[in-house]
Amino acid sequence: MKHLRYTLITSVAACAFAAPALAEKTEISVSRFFGSCEADYGDVTEAAKGNGECGIITTLINEFNNTSDSYQIKEEVVEWPGYDQLTARLRNGEPPTISVMHQSILSNYASRDLLMPLGDKLTEAGVDLGDMTDAARAGVTKAGDVYAMPFDTLGWLWHTNMNLMEEAGMVNGDGTPVTPSSADDFITQARQFKEATGKPYLCEASVGNAQVYARTLFTLLYQQDHNFFADPTMIDLNSDATRNYVDLFKTLYSEGLSTTDYDYSAATAAFPQGECGVYIMGTWLIDTYQQESLKDESALAGGYFVQPFPQLFAQDGIWSDGHAWVIPKQDLNAEEEAAAIAFLKFLWDNNLHWARTGHLPVRSSIIESEEFKSLPARDRLERVALHATPFPPEVKRQFTVTDYVGEEMQAAVNGQKTVDEAIAAAEKRVNDMLARAN
Amino acid sequence: MMVGVHNRPASRAISLAVGVFAVVWILPVLWVLILSFKPNEVLMLSGDPVWVPPFTFKNYINIMETSSVFRWLLNSAIVSVSATVGVLFVSSLAGYGFARLNFPFRRTLFVIVLIGLAIPEQAVIIARHQLFTDWNLHNTYTGLVLPHLSLPFGVFLMTQFFRGIPREQDEAAILDNASRFKVFWSVLLPQSMPVQATLGIFTFLLVWNDYFWPLISATRPEMYTLTVGIASVQGNFAQSEGLGYLMAQAVFAGLPALIVYLIFQKQIIGAAAGTAGR
Repeated sequence: MKHLRYTLITSVAACAFAAPALAEKTEISVSRFFGSCEADYGDVTEAAKGNGECGIITTLINEFNNTSDSYQIKEEVVEWPGYDQLTARLRNGEPPTISVMHQSILSNYASRDLLMPLGDKLTEAGVDLGDMTDAARAGVTKAGDVYAMPFDTLGWLWHTNMNLMEEAGMVNGDGTPVTPSSADDFITQARQFKEATGKPYLCEASVGNAQVYARTLFTLLYQQDHNFFADPTMIDLNSDATRNYVDLFKTLYSEGLSTTDYDYSAATAAFPQGECGVYIMGTWLIDTYQQESLKDESALAGGYFVQPFPQLFAQDGIWSDGHAWVIPKQDLNAEEEAAAIAFLKFLWDNNLHWARTGHLPVRSSIIESEEFKSLPARDRLERVALHATPFPPEVKRQFTVTDYVGEEMQAAVNGQKTVDEAIAAAEKRVNDMLARAN
Repeated sequence: MMVGVHNRPASRAISLAVGVFAVVWILPVLWVLILSFKPNEVLMLSGDPVWVPPFTFKNYINIMETSSVFRWLLNSAIVSVSATVGVLFVSSLAGYGFARLNFPFRRTLFVIVLIGLAIPEQAVIIARHQLFTDWNLHNTYTGLVLPHLSLPFGVFLMTQFFRGIPREQDEAAILDNASRFKVFWSVLLPQSMPVQATLGIFTFLLVWNDYFWPLISATRPEMYTLTVGIASVQGNFAQSEGLGYLMAQAVFAGLPALIVYLIFQKQIIGAAAGTAGR
């Protein structure tokens, strides 16, 4: 009897201690792109062991699930950029709890009151909004409210193959590549490179990728101090600044100083294969090319150099965008909302891990930290964080604006339209669309 | 009488031309297949040595290790087979009705069906999405199958086929006391097997490869079809850093449709050659 009593008491005590572990975690859904890499990272629960966008986001979520006693993330992977699905889910009344979103898209949803304002909730959870970079804050703030947790700032870069630059005799004494400081410089150096190496100076992802044209145009408009969205409901491209861009790239294309027949995949592969000296593309490729430069057999071996898009005109400015996390408006109970905010806080705390992809962190304290600066090439990218220039937050349909402008600039650069025809067409298409959207 | 004289040089020229076109057509397909067996890291170094080792099964293994891929395959199979059976059923009955029955507004209705051929899916998709939201049909197999049942091409094809069968066959069966349905079921339908096979294959491929409607209707990952699911695992915009993996996805997604075509190719060729049992 004594033995039985002892057994019973011990069992009850064991159950009492085990109860918290057996209690169900509150599950929420997180919808994201960046791909699926279960084969490599499905079981990895430390974010420090992830590499690349897919690896790092997968391990971040795994780490959160592994370390949180109360909350569980159900990951839902969508194809980039996923907005057709998100819009459909909002319409169905079944949105994910949290969704990734480009900052340039935020206004489309925030203006329709489809997103939960997060400023106060993030502050209560311990997120220091004052630590956000200017670019990050501008990207997630609409009509004075913070509508998302920023995840990164991405900008336009100048990826350089130093092995080919050396062959062209275009390396400075300090080991940096010779870089243009004006449009004329650009042409001169491109000609010098081609004469020395026989290869085009630039790889351009110019086929089926109108956004490339637009992003370079916007960068050069910022640098020429042309405010093309002085009125956020209308675009103004009718300026010598636009004509300067078209003239520059027409020359590059017509003289064979740039590739002209590569799509994004081809250009992204061509650069590390040594087919050109410079690739104008974004931050998301830094880690990829860094890894390629570590391979002895690669044409990029030991020779990868990245810097922000150079300042070619009087002002400094670089096209930028960013990723962020939003909570679509829906009926969440207190536990679910707490889980969502806890996950966003977790991502904020681990922003340095995400910065290993090549995207810039959204926290000034991380940008200034030794840990960030010790990452390859990051000490050169502070300029992006300082001069990254997104569209004004009031501008709607920013993805579509970029597509329309890019298509017309592509026509102008390739000689299918005169620059004035392209400017007029771009303005009409964009302004008609914005008139309907506003 | 000169019967069956073959123009050998012309025949050889045609065969040669067909052979050349076949090679030109199949080369990109072979390219995709070979790339699917190349390691991604080798393809990043250079696109040249695709015909030489190393080769790997890793790209396919990575697909298999995506935990939901077989669920997506099942979803696609269920939707494609159900839609195919449904289309054959509806189109056969509708085709018989338009070809053989006299009812009010028959011609007008047939013209309306034909107009459906000219209306792109994009023109109706918003209204359809709204309707299915109201009916709670999103993230269901019914929601994925239903839009495909109204296939104007299927109705048109079966109508034209049944019109081509002499009415004397119907009349003979009716004289033997066969009902209208029995005429359809026992006399006309058996003759339509080759056309049914063609329409079945066409419908199966159409539904199997459908992307946009499943993208916005089956939004829960467990309800993805294979096209949407495979697209979702791509690493980044345009999947430029895993070309081998991308090619393996393409092969994996296309293989079931190819297998179905190979099984039914005789019926398709028979229908195309006009040997439809007449």
